[in-house]
Order: sequence, then C-alpha cells, then structure tokens
Amino acid sequence: MGVRDSGEVTGTPDPVERGLATINTITLGVKAMVQKDGELRKAEILSIRERKGGLSFYVHYVDFNKRLDEWVPAARIDLTQEVEWPRPEKSDKKKSAAITKAPSKNVQKQQRADSREVSGTPDAFGSKNQNVAKAPRSSKAGGKENRDTPGGDVSMAGSEVVSAAGTPKVLDSEDLEMTDAPLKDEVKTASGELITREEEIERLRTGGSMTQNPTEVHRVRNLTKLQMGKHDIEPWYFSPYPDSFSDVDLVYIDEFCLSYFDNYRAFERHRSKCTMVHPPGNEIYRDENISFFEVDGRRQRTWCRNLCLLSKLFLDHKTLYYDVDPFLFYCMCTRDDTGCHLVGYFSKEKDSAEGYNLACITTFPQFQRAGYGRLLIAMSYELSKREGKLGSPEKPLSDLGLLSYRRYWRETLVELLAEPNREAMSENELALLTSMTEKDIHETLLVNNMLRYHKGNWIIVLTDQVLDEHNKRLEKEKIKGSRRIDPVRLQWKPPVFTASSRTWNW
Amino acid sequence: MTRYGGLGRTRPKKLTSKASIPIVREHEIDVVDDEVQSTLQQIETGVEKAEESEFHLQAAINAAAQGKDKDAHIPTREVIVSEIQYAKLYPPIFSQPATYIRFSSTVEDCCGCPYNMNEEDDAWLKNYNSKRDASSQCSEDDFEATMNFFEETAQTKQPFAAVDSPPVLSFADMAESMDAAVEESVKRFSKDIYEHWKVRRLATENLSLEPMLKFETGQDTDDSDPFVCFRRREVRQIRKTRGRDAQSAEKLRRLRKELEDARQLVALVRQREVARKEMLGMDRTIFMQRNEVKEMKRKLNIKDDDEDLINQKPKKKAIEMPPRQPNAPQLRMPLKPGLQGAEDLQLLEDVQSEKENEILRDIKANIAKHIKWNEGFVDHTRAPLSPSPERTFDAAAFRPAFTAQLPTPPSSESSGDVMETSLDVTSPLFSKDKLASRALELHDDSHRMPSFRRRVGRGGRLFIDRRNLVSHCRVELDPLQADRFKYDQEDSDEEPTYDTDAYSIQIMQHRAITMAKAREQAAVAAQAHAQAQAQAAQQRRLQADQAGNPQGANPVPNGVTASSETS
Repeated sequence: MGVRDSGEVTGTPDPVERGLATINTITLGVKAMVQKDGELRKAEILSIRERKGGLSFYVHYVDFNKRLDEWVPAARIDLTQEVEWPRPEKSDKKKSAAITKAPSKNVQKQQRADSREVSGTPDAFGSKNQNVAKAPRSSKAGGKENRDTPGGDVSMAGSEVVSAAGTPKVLDSEDLEMTDAPLKDEVKTASGELITREEEIERLRTGGSMTQNPTEVHRVRNLTKLQMGKHDIEPWYFSPYPDSFSDVDLVYIDEFCLSYFDNYRAFERHRSKCTMVHPPGNEIYRDENISFFEVDGRRQRTWCRNLCLLSKLFLDHKTLYYDVDPFLFYCMCTRDDTGCHLVGYFSKEKDSAEGYNLACITTFPQFQRAGYGRLLIAMSYELSKREGKLGSPEKPLSDLGLLSYRRYWRETLVELLAEPNREAMSENELALLTSMTEKDIHETLLVNNMLRYHKGNWIIVLTDQVLDEHNKRLEKEKIKGSRRIDPVRLQWKPPVFTASSRTWNW
Repeated sequence: MTRYGGLGRTRPKKLTSKASIPIVREHEIDVVDDEVQSTLQQIETGVEKAEESEFHLQAAINAAAQGKDKDAHIPTREVIVSEIQYAKLYPPIFSQPATYIRFSSTVEDCCGCPYNMNEEDDAWLKNYNSKRDASSQCSEDDFEATMNFFEETAQTKQPFAAVDSPPVLSFADMAESMDAAVEESVKRFSKDIYEHWKVRRLATENLSLEPMLKFETGQDTDDSDPFVCFRRREVRQIRKTRGRDAQSAEKLRRLRKELEDARQLVALVRQREVARKEMLGMDRTIFMQRNEVKEMKRKLNIKDDDEDLINQKPKKKAIEMPPRQPNAPQLRMPLKPGLQGAEDLQLLEDVQSEKENEILRDIKANIAKHIKWNEGFVDHTRAPLSPSPERTFDAAAFRPAFTAQLPTPPSSESSGDVMETSLDVTSPLFSKDKLASRALELHDDSHRMPSFRRRVGRGGRLFIDRRNLVSHCRVELDPLQADRFKYDQEDSDEEPTYDTDAYSIQIMQHRAITMAKAREQAAVAAQAHAQAQAQAAQQRRLQADQAGNPQGANPVPNGVTASSETS
C-alpha cells in the first residue's frame, strides 16, 4: 500500500505555498528569512512567546546546527519577503489509509502526546495556532516519506507522525522535525534503517545506548544561561532539568558536585555546606596539567545524573531516557587550590555489546578549543589498549565529535606511519597498535586520500599535506610541551563487574 | 585518461586487513592516478544524516580536507566570564595528596543538609529572629534542618504527592514522626517554621520545595514527557516459580531479621550510652553534694573520719555467686553416684589397664616365642605350651557385656546391674575398643564385668565362654521376695516358649548355623541372652527346690545357652 502511495506522490511533488505574512499571522512551522549575523537566513519558527510586551520567536536556521537556534525579536524577521507556509492538510486521506494498520495503541499515544503538548511545553502562546500549524505539515511529511521510502508505511504506523483518521490533531513536537527541511527525509532513506519509536525505546531498554533518534529530542532549549565555576555559559540544547528552571534567567551549577539551583541564595547556602572538591571517584591518571577520575554510575548515581543533565545541554543526541547505572564516567580535571575542576568527560558502557569504547564525550564549552577533547579521546583509546580491545565511539557522532575524532585518527595514524624505517604495514597492525578498529583506520586513510590503488596495488601514501601537519605539530610540541596521555601514569585495571552488578535494575 | 581507462576500470584488488600495505611518500608516485581514487567510496561520517549536510560542518570538513584545521571551526554559543564572586563561593581548601585520590563519598555525603534556603526563607527567618531575643534565635542551619525534616516527612508520608495531590501534611502528622532521631533543634522551632513551610508548600501545590527532576510516575504520560529522565532499566523477567518465591521470601525474612538485629543493637548501644551519661551526671551530683558537705563540715567544724566523702566499696557479693553456677543447670537426673566421678577415676583405671596391657603383651610375646620354637611341629598334648592360634586365650577375644550406664533412672537395687548391662550392650553405639578397654579395666572382683567369647571347639561345636560372671547376689533375697521377680522379665509375648532339649545335637547345630550367619548381631544377642540366662540361673539356683530344675546351675564353661531358657 505504501509503495503504491509513494508512486503517486513521486510524480507530483507538492509545491511549497508561499506568501507574505505579518507578525500576527506567523505561526509555528512557518519558514521566514531571519537576520543572522548580518545576513538573512531562512529559519523555521519553532515556538512563539510574549515577552515584555513584544512577541519573540524561537527559530531554527535551516542548515545550521540546532545549537544556534535562538529567540529572536519580531524585528529580526524580514517580513518584506514571502514566507513559506507550513504545508496544508491535503494528503490526509492517503495517510489515513496508511494508518488503518496502526494499532490503536498509537492513537492513544498520540492523544497522550497531545495533552503533553499543551501542558508540557513552555510556549505560552495560544494552542489554537499550533493546531492549525502542525497538523497539515505532519500529513505532508507522511507523504514525503512514502515517496522516498518503499515500505514507508511501516515507519508511519510505528512512529507517531500519524494522527488517527486524519483528524487535525495537535502533534508531538518531534513530528515537526520531519518536515522542516528536505534533508530530513534523507535521514530515513539513506540510513536505510527505519526505527519506530517503540523499537527505539526497546533498544534503549536493552542496549544501554546513550544516543537516540533525533525525533526524540525536544526542540526548544529550556535553559537560558548557566553559571558554572568562573563562567556564564549559554546552553546549546534541551536538557530535562526541573521544568521550573525554564522560567529563570540563570541556573547555577556547583562546579564540583554539579548540583543545580535556580536561586542564588540557595546556591550560596549550598556552597557553604558542600565539601566536594573533585569528582567522587578514584583518580586513575595524573600529570602536570590534568587528572582523570573514574566514577561509577551505579555508586555515584546523583553525581552522574547531575553530570548527564549538564552534558545534555551540549550534546544533542544524548538521551537521559534511562538511568546512569550501566556506565562508567571518566572525568578530566584541571587542578588548582580550590579543587579539581571538571573540564570534560567521557562515558563508557561497563559492558558494550557492540564494542564501543566510548558512549558520550564532551568538553564543556568554557574549556573548548584548547586540545582537551583530543586528550579525552586519547584516554579512551588508552583504556582500550589496557583492556586489549579495539574500540570505536558510539554513533551518531555530533559535528564537533566527528571533527575531533577524524583529527585524532589522522594524527595518530600519520604519527605511526611516519616513523622512520617503516616500509609497510597492514591495517590490522595499525589497529593493534592504536586500539582503533580496522574500519575506522580504513576510513581514515580513505578520507585523507592516503589509501590509493596504484599500478594494481594498494599503497598508503603519506601526502605532503599530512606530513606537513605532522611536522608542524611536532614543532609546536617542542615549544609548548606535549599534551599527551602518558600510559605510565595511568593507574587503571579494567574493572570487572559481576552479572548482578551490571544488570540495570536496582 | 588514466591507464585503467582502456581496461574499463578493472575492479581493484580486494584489500584485506591483514595485507601489508607499502608506505610511500607522495613525491614517490605519479600524481596522475588521483582522480580515480577519490570517488571510489562513500565514507560514512557517523554523524546523524540529518546533520551531515549542515553548513558549518561541511565547511569544516572541507577545510580539514585541505589541511586547514584552523579554519575548521564550528560556531558555538557564547561563554563569558561570570561576575560571580568565585573566591567567596569556592574557597581554596584543596591540597593534592601525593598519591592518587581514592574517594567513595557521594554527593549526599558531601552536601550536608539537602535543603537550601532561598530568599523567601531568608526574609521569613530574619523577621522571625527579630522578634526573639538573642538566646532563642533560630540559626540558618537549624532552619534548614527543620525545613528538611518537613520535606522528608512529607515525602515519606505522601510518596505519590506528585500524582494524587493530597492536602499539605498537618503539623500533627509531622509531630508524629518526630522520634528520638530528630534533633532537638528541629523540635524546638518546628511549630513556628511549620507555618512558613505550609505557606510555601501551598504555593507550590504541595510539591517539593526543592526543584526536583521528573522521574517516572508510572503514568502513561511518562513516555512522551521530555522532562522525565533516568528511568529504571527494565529487568529481564525471571520466571516465577514457587521455589523462587520461597527463596525471595526467605531472603526478605532474613534481611528483615538482620536489620531488626542491627536496629536492636543500635538501640541498646544508645540505651547504654544514655545510662552512662546518667551515671556521669549522678557522679557529678554526688561530687557536688560532697563538696557541699565538706564545706558544711568545715563551717560547722565537724570532725569525723570523712566516710561520707569517699565511695564506700560495696562488699563483694561475687564470691557467693560462683558455687551456685554449676548447680544451676540441674535439669537432668543426676547420674549414678558410681559414675558421677568417672572422670576422676579414669586416671587410676588407665594406670591399671596400662599394667594389664603390659602383662598381656608379655604373655603374647612369650606365646609368639613358643610358636616360633615349635615351628613345624604340632603340639597335640593335652595342655600345649603354646596353644594353637585358634585356641588362644587372648583377652581381646572376650567381649565385655557391660560398658556404661545410660542415664536411665536407677532401677531397683536387686538385679539392676545385670539387667541394665545386658540391655545396654545391645545398643549399636558402643564401639569395640571401648568395650575392650572397659573389660580390662574392671579387674576388681566387685566390679568385674561379665564377658563372653565364642569359640568353635572340636567337631565344630560352638562354645560360649563366660568370664567374671556375677556369681552371687549382693542382696540375699528371701524366697518369697524372689518369687515376685520370677516372671518379671516375661514382658515380651512374641517369644514363645518351646520345650526342647537344649543339648540335642541338631538344635545346637542349627543354632550354630544361624549364629554364624549373623555374626555381629548374633554375638551381641548371645551376650544378652547369656546375661539374662546368668540371671535366670541365679534365680533358679535360689528357687531350685521349688522349681525342681537343676539345669543351668553350672556357671563356668557352659555349653551354648539356650535362648528358650531365658524367657
């Protein structure tokens, strides 16, 4: 059925409805041109609120990362240009046909989602507008999906894009995502694995994964600003801090115990009592600059929850759906006389079924672009070396994660390959030396155009570019001192967990 | 065109991970081939596909591909230096230990009172304290402790407040939960602070005052609520069986018991400490009062030996106690007086048995010597110097019929000894070596144990040899009295009496065969029977004139005793 439907749609892609709008007619889902850093960019309106007498709009810039989503005043929206209206409700019949298969449970769920939309989101704007705005778009999304994916109806039935019998229901906010840009459709088709929501949750339940489908992520950032240590930080993404925190301008985070406060007085009182001066675990690594602490999610549940809440502000695909028990947290700190300041961390499953050596990784924004991320990655591989395993980070990577990893992989490989007297090496040898998986090695070589087919044989080419970079790095290390993980200073044995301590119940 | 062009782009050789790949520098190869390579494969980035095409990421990837990592910058949100008074909030209290830090305290351990007062509390407290004098001020810590007590009590008493929104807990309920564990300071201000707490609780619709994370509530809305986090992972369902149920019930019971014990222990410790404190207080009072007495005495010029100023040592009562102790557990019947001191006598008996053993060993050695001399010869004389092994008079071959008395009530004096021993010996509890030692040690005539052995005589005849038979009765019964006991042993109806000639060869043969069949039992039984028979013989001897049965009167080496006679 889905296939036939998609056939129909493929022939006639729906034209985008355009038209002029005024501030008051702008609804959720409208795509308008918005001033961003001195230029106009197309942006989708995700939320509208009334503040200090004027309306402000939460916008997502098309083709920009979500962390750049922001509240803009009405003045920044260029209303002289036509806007793209959300798709009207027209392919609904077709959709309802697809839905008939959907179990009634989904309908119920849909209704639950509806009630949440009203009560749960911080949007103070009238829900009538949302009704109008969302329902049609979702139906369009369904159409597109059908077109691009054979068997799209399956995903339709499972995911909650569906509204029962075509009634114009308010849809869950995650549905919006499917429509806002054409590239979203590619997600489903290119990845080739269509995961329904139930499957997604099931996977979370059993897999101990820390990432999740983008459709699960709440779209509007809930915290405005964060006070942590010596810095004020703007969060990037939504994080399920207590919902009353959405209303305050500044959330205080204790730098050591990572507790959160929406009130300065309470934070001050807490600070006067709190005695924690470093992450609550065992130090496993120490050099002149940094220390690493290993913290068990099961033993330090509160701290690890706090850490996850905090890092969720900077990690889009992290999920806090389930508890922290099955993870170990490796926390990197700098030291001074006030304590060990958390700079970044990575988490690692106690027992990864898929051979991941790292689940989530982040350097907090106030410490970014200082080479800490590289150290975190290096440590994750150092641990894998101790375990005698090959490892790879859990996917999906974030954009920053990808860049950091690619760079680490490239530099690590080049360093090995450029060693004098090395004439030939197999990918397997490289893997054993670096603890990187053969796949990561192979792809890194390809990405950097180092693995080539030359005169009927494969060769590894150390390009001038990578050698150049390598030499520059060596130069820099000579001057500034090297920032590396020294395996000798790592006091760590792979922790062993009994089956009962690894199980996720408590 | 590349050189592959003509070949229609042959598929490159498969590259295995084990294959060693030569490493070359770029200048060592022709640059011509490059274009073919770059499009060979699509490489997964591992980034969510939706984000892969993002503007900044693409720019960064391209920059990186050109070796310009500096330009590969993805814009992020702003970070500024805070205006907060960092030095005040984070005092320099950290000193790094020489060794790696090991630490297991939790956030809760490190944070003191979990309730943190806010501005509203501050204002209330200031107002409250301004109305009170300096001595009865409520400190911030006390205030927080009290508020925390209310919060915690509300949490325990209304665990589902988030779901079923019950009314705010009344002060009476609060007071109810104030047990000994609650600090005095909390109790002191609780009444006043409660009003403030209630006001604040009402303002939050009776939800916790501290901002809380949203956890599962078990409602259907949980799944779609983005604020609900840190759900429990689901347990893989274990099949329920009765055994497992019982197991867990048992575990729970044990846990409960252990906790109860621990609680008891702590309670007792507390009680002890309270008592100790009381005692110290008492001591102090005594001291103070003595001080006063002293003063008074001085003032009034009383002179005596000042006995009232020192602690009189209480007379030791302890000495009277110990002797009572051993008598205390007199729950059992006292053992026979003869056996009571058995432990003490043991030494003497040991010595005696030692001697006896020595003699026996000597005899044995001599016999062995004789046998050696006579090797190759058979001594068929009537009384051979070295008897053949079968005919040895080895004491060990004799089995004693008596070992120890069971703690049974003493029987009537007359035939008690014999009766009991014959019964006791049937008990399988008695080991042979014990029997043997016992047989030896009882040397003295009065204590001689009767013992028996089985012997096969000429022509296959079976003999039971008796030794140390009690041949006289200690109490001379008059015939009339003895007559009363005549049928005392006839308590078993199962054994019928047959009138047979005990010495007919057939019967004796038959008896011998059955005995050989069941060696152990037979031996034991034989002993028992013999014992009983001995007694019967005694009786019979006493009543010989009346009964007119002369048989069984001859005590030492008798033929096989007939079982029929005993009953």
